[in-house]
Amino acid sequence: MKFAIIGNGVAGINAARTLARSKPKATIDIYAEEPYPYYPRPRLLHLLAGEIQQEELYLYPKEWYEKRGIAVHLASKVMRIDPQRQQLALADGRQATYERLLLAMGSSPIRPPIKGLDRAEAFTLRSLDDALALSERARETQRAAVIGGGLLGLEAARALRELGLQVTVVELLPRLLPKQLDEEGSPILEKWIGALGIEVLLGSAVQEISRKGSAHHLTLKDGGSLEADLLLICAGATPNVQVAEEAGIEVQRGIVVDEYMRTSLPNIYAAGDVAQFEGRVYGIIPVALEQSRVASLNMSGQESVRYQGTLPATTLKVTRVDLTSIGVIEPRGEGYQELRKADEKKGVYKKLVLKEGRVVGAILLGDKKSAAPVSRLIMSEIEVSAYLDRLLDEDFDLKTLL
Amino acid sequence: MEKWECLVCGYIYDPAEGDSEGGIPPGTPFEELPDDWVCPECGAAKEMFEKLEE
Repeated sequence: MKFAIIGNGVAGINAARTLARSKPKATIDIYAEEPYPYYPRPRLLHLLAGEIQQEELYLYPKEWYEKRGIAVHLASKVMRIDPQRQQLALADGRQATYERLLLAMGSSPIRPPIKGLDRAEAFTLRSLDDALALSERARETQRAAVIGGGLLGLEAARALRELGLQVTVVELLPRLLPKQLDEEGSPILEKWIGALGIEVLLGSAVQEISRKGSAHHLTLKDGGSLEADLLLICAGATPNVQVAEEAGIEVQRGIVVDEYMRTSLPNIYAAGDVAQFEGRVYGIIPVALEQSRVASLNMSGQESVRYQGTLPATTLKVTRVDLTSIGVIEPRGEGYQELRKADEKKGVYKKLVLKEGRVVGAILLGDKKSAAPVSRLIMSEIEVSAYLDRLLDEDFDLKTLL
Repeated sequence: MEKWECLVCGYIYDPAEGDSEGGIPPGTPFEELPDDWVCPECGAAKEMFEKLEE
């Protein structure tokens, strides 16, 4: 069997290793757009902060691939898929064939439609090249503006702060981490972020970006303004669907897959940030891992495995700030119950979302020790109705329920 | 005791430290972590870890 994987990120690498294990004699080719071997994207933030060197990013030595019979083609962007002939056209003119194909080309940073942004020298942070360019510039400047107060925006702000820059985060919505935190929790996180010396402007839309000498001048919609030497855009990502779309594969926001991770065309599968399952593009690592595992087992033809969805869980990786969000954090619809506990002084905010006596989601800020038991509580779907008044007590040991 | 590295995100499991988040006390060797233990950084399973060569 001849397998091809487009994309060398978490989904691609995990699929390759799963395929190599279930079909040791198969040919496995990975086509990577970037010139670098696999590296974990979360580590780019440590590179940016100067905590690790570029060489430390690479986790798989050459022998790792050789041992498993995986061929990695670096700097080999796939320009076209020919689904009839089962062929790929690469940027340098080469052709390649496949019997089963996995689309795992990930996503790209979104550049919001802000006036003047196209002319401004603005950085994004997705690839190693992005991180290298950003880090070089960061070392020459004093003031940074980060547009976007999501996970990446805050983690990047922390890294820039670590380098000694003055950092301002500008978020369109009136709160931080709109996907991981709710209205009540945001002010508590703001205090944590403020304590790191990072300034946060919430509910601030950037109207226009212009030049002022060597600096960027940001005009805000509320009339305020801001100057920065370095501008970083962390406004989300969009799936890299173009090549799939041109091949006639069904695409909505992402590449549409069924529960077997099959796309609309035969022998072509998709997984990770590029895939859309039941209307949803997740864009997080645990999902990429699970989807690529399911896809590769089905591709190998030895098993028929269904993707059951992944409990979305994220952890903010900012030094000294512990925040984990799992599952449903802002329920919409009937039948939900919410338990909350806030201690502004200690910087603690905890929230559990319950349905039919079971925990289905949680926000845990400033409480590291509950993250693991709560996530097990959610996954095991244990009935907790009898403990509602005690669940969030500090001295209540959640592990006794498991 | 040997350290193990998550091949997905680069997190290093250090037995001397354990994993307080996952309820793993200091001094627990990697081999003795429960099967359902996952990487505290990215959620990858135990099989995604490889031994660090010192």
